[in-house]
Formats: sequence, C-alpha cells, structure tokens
Amino acid sequence: MSLQGAVRRSFVALRDQRAAWRSVLEECDPLMESLGNLGEQMNALSRVRVSDTPLRAFPDLQERLQFQLLQAVDLLLQRLRDRMSCLQSIRDSVGGHVSAALQLYQDSADGLDVAVATQRSSVAPSLADMLEWLQDAERFYRRFLQRKTLLLTLRRDDRAQLEGAAKAWRSLDSPDAEQQITDNLCRLAFFLESQ
Amino acid sequence: MSEVGQNWDNISKDTTYSVPADVPMSSSNTKFSAVTGSARKIKDNAADWHNLMLKWDKLNNDGFQCATNIVNMRNSQRDQQPLDDFPPAPACQTFPSAVQQQAAGAAELQDECSRLQAVVDRMVVIVAKMEHLMSVQRGIQDLEEFQFGPEGRTLPLCHSWKTQEFEESSRVLLAAFSQELKLKQVILQELAHTAVADLHMVYLSCWLHQPFIPAQTRLALEALLLETGHRSL
Repeated sequence: MSLQGAVRRSFVALRDQRAAWRSVLEECDPLMESLGNLGEQMNALSRVRVSDTPLRAFPDLQERLQFQLLQAVDLLLQRLRDRMSCLQSIRDSVGGHVSAALQLYQDSADGLDVAVATQRSSVAPSLADMLEWLQDAERFYRRFLQRKTLLLTLRRDDRAQLEGAAKAWRSLDSPDAEQQITDNLCRLAFFLESQ
Repeated sequence: MSEVGQNWDNISKDTTYSVPADVPMSSSNTKFSAVTGSARKIKDNAADWHNLMLKWDKLNNDGFQCATNIVNMRNSQRDQQPLDDFPPAPACQTFPSAVQQQAAGAAELQDECSRLQAVVDRMVVIVAKMEHLMSVQRGIQDLEEFQFGPEGRTLPLCHSWKTQEFEESSRVLLAAFSQELKLKQVILQELAHTAVADLHMVYLSCWLHQPFIPAQTRLALEALLLETGHRSL
C-alpha cells in the first residue's frame, strides 16, 4: 500500500461522506429550535402563578404540564443523541482512513525524501500539503463533534440553558473551516480521480 | 415580535399518539371468529377507543393551529396604536384607517375563535362517545355478574383479563379525556381575553402537551388493543 494511495483513500472517504454529514447535521437544526421552544415554555410556566389564573380549577396542572415538558425534552435529546451517533460513525470511518495514512507516513518517514514529499505537480498537491490537510480536517471534525456532544449533556431541567441551546448550537459552527476543507477538496479533484 | 408556535410541532408529532395509518386493525387470534356476544362487543369497543383517540389527536393539532393564530393576533393587536390616544393634528388623516385595521383584526380574531370553538365542540362529541363506550362496557360487566355471579366468568373472554379490567381501562381513559376536555374549554374561553405573554404561552403549552393525557394513558390503550387481539402479541 503506497502512502499516496492511503492519502487518496482518506480524501475520497472525506469527500464521499460530506453529503451524509451535512444532511444529518441539518436534521439537528429544527430539533434544537424545538428544544429552545421547550425551554421558553418551561420558563413561562415557572413565571406564571397558576392559582392567580383561570387555570386554578386544575390544582395539579402545573406539575403535570412540567412533567410533559420534561418528557418532550428527553425525547428531543434522545433524537439529537442518535444524530450525534450517526455523525460519530461518519467521523470514525474517515478517521480510520486518516490514521492509516498517517501511520504509513510515520513508518516510511525515514526513507522519505523531503524534496519528493514537498514536490507539487499540476495535477496533485505535495504529499506534505495533503498530509497536513488531512490532519486539519480530521482534527476539525473531531473537535466539532466533541463540542456539539458536550452541548447535549445539558440538564433537562436547566431552563435557561435550554432556551439558549439553539443559539449555542449554532455558535459552534465554523463555516470558515468547513470552507477550507471544501477548497482543499477542490484542489485535490484531479488527484482523487487519478490512479 | 416573532410568531409563537413555530417549531412546536417538531416534537408534537412524537408526543401525540402515533399509529401508522396503514396498520390493519385485524384480529390475529382465531378465537374471535366464533365469538360470544360479549367478546365481540369488547373487541369492537377497543377498536372504537383507538379510532376516537386518533380523531382526538387530529382535532388537537387543528386546535393548536387556531390557538397559535389567536395568540399571534392578540400580540399584534397589542402592538398596534390604542384607539383612545388622539394623535396630533397632522396625523389625523391616518386615524380612520387605524380604526379599519382594528376592526378587520377583530373580525379575524373572532373567526379564529369560532374555529377553535368548532374544534372543542367536536371534542365534546368524542368524549360523549367515549362515555357511551364506558356504559356499554358497564353493561357487559353487569350481564356477566348476572350470569355468573359476582365473581364473574371463570374463563377470560379474551387473552387473560377479567371482564372487570376492561371496565377499569375504559374508566381510566374516559377520566383522562374528560379532564383534558375541561382544560381545553377553559383555554377556549380565556385565550382571546388574556394579554399576558407568559400566560398565553402556558395556555398553548397546555393545549399541545395535554397534561391530563400522559404517556400512561396511551399505554392503557395499547394494552387494551393487545388484549383484544387488535395487536399481535
């Protein structure tokens, strides 16, 4: 197995999985919005003194509604965690290829001529560049996932956190880094098609 | 002011009772082919309960749309200029159109309230049918006591439940829906007359999340359907 072949395989995996990655991520957006809405609802419920309203006819209403809202939050968090698992599998599969490539590099590093490694051609970037891009991409996705997964460990009864959840979620996006990966894949177009 | 009610339905589809429409409500248990009158009635009852709950859920979603519209209209009414602020002279030309706007808004609000009323009226009918199912079940119970004495029949009519358990199930379901209906009637009365944003949200939450019909109620129906052979074990 050549180093070039391993690098190519990694980038192909990365490219092919991007659509799946994006679509799973997009599914999370409405779920996060709903989570925020539930936080708002819980906050509104806590601010209302039910006994001062016409709802006083239902003495156990507040607890029952609170219970339903918490259940709804649980359901949403479960669905979000399922999406995160999907993303994790995608990331793991790409990560596997990347690790193999980097391992191969480590093993052959001594025998690798620097001039060869940094040589660019019209159809392929240099090996050094490609390895760097691979590492960057892998690191980006790994950290991205870590942060998003961490966000989901928010407590279901922490109303303030829930209400701000959607915004916090979006703030974890890095469109620049994503664009960088897209750009790199463009530069690799010929390389990926070649054998 | 952002509209209330966006994205609330992303979770409601999960929290409402969801049976795929193409699940055939047929018996997989041949025991019911040559059936006594009571067993047949109980089985039909269970199917009726299921159908009524499906209708209820559809009405609940329709009603939620109306309720959301009412709240949004109330919010925009509140944001408009109140009529008794006399504007300064140069702006007087706009005064009549503000009146027209308010009148149109009030008419729209009235329409939406009527729609919500219609939804609640249909829910009243559903609960009445549920009461009927309850009384049919009561009748079956009474007949059995007459035929077999207070202990009831020795062999179960269906899989394993004593006949009394059907009545208890029905009672639980009826109580839940009756109470929920009362809540909806209060919401219907109060929604358009409230000005407090938090209370609006609580009313909408109550409508959507149906605090008196928790998951256990849905499970009670599932158990009933299992027992009567509508669902295979």
